Amino acid sequence: MKTSTRQVGDATIVDVVGQIDLHSSSDLRKVLQETLRGKTAARVVVNLGRVDYIDSSGVAALVEGLKTSMGLKIRFVLCGLGPAVKELLKLTQLLSVFQVCESEEQALRA
Amino acid sequence: MNLSLKLELPSDPELLRVIRSAVKEFAAVTGFSEDDCRSITVAVDEALTNIIRHAYQNRHGEPIDLVCRRCDEGLEFILTDRGQPVDPAKLHGRPLADVRPGGLGMHIIQKIMDQVEYGQVPEGNRLRLMKYWKIRQEGKS
Repeated sequence: MKTSTRQVGDATIVDVVGQIDLHSSSDLRKVLQETLRGKTAARVVVNLGRVDYIDSSGVAALVEGLKTSMGLKIRFVLCGLGPAVKELLKLTQLLSVFQVCESEEQALRA
Repeated sequence: MNLSLKLELPSDPELLRVIRSAVKEFAAVTGFSEDDCRSITVAVDEALTNIIRHAYQNRHGEPIDLVCRRCDEGLEFILTDRGQPVDPAKLHGRPLADVRPGGLGMHIIQKIMDQVEYGQVPEGNRLRLMKYWKIRQEGKS
């Protein structure tokens, strides 16, 4: 898994590529926490469009990001969910807990 | 016709993606749909993750045996480790209404697989996961 961040207006976009599992989820957690706690963005968009696998530890990193964002009053949006990510969020009844957009453009307007 | 594959793995998270590929291909060869192959792979991956995190307390290089077997009823996976016994209270997963990180692995396994059995054997812990062919699942209700 690889992550990178970029700034678009008042939003920070976290691009995630690859497979999120026990080996890589701690890196995702760290990037999300650092991005949120950097307090430079009003909105953090996590673009999962190029993620083809996620496990429960990856979902936990996203939930932790959401909780941190709520405490800091930063909007936290997921976008570009493929079937693997969508299915696991549905299975864990977390899909409705997140703000989810089909595309990055929608996430920046949401 | 019965078909089986036995893998001897170290408890190393870096190898999980390799095991996922093998499990997914095995499920595909045995005739499960693409959606089922994907979900079965998630269940086995979560079981391996639980062994690494809980039975072996994140120690790498410890032994895990994974047997994948196609039988008349469906697809069976048997995972054996020599780590700490599992707390039976944690085998049922936690309530999902409590939105917090962690504790989702067992819930995922139980939602995907049709049978989940945990037990102690002389070698250590043994987890058996079973996914029935669709025709039998549809017969159940």
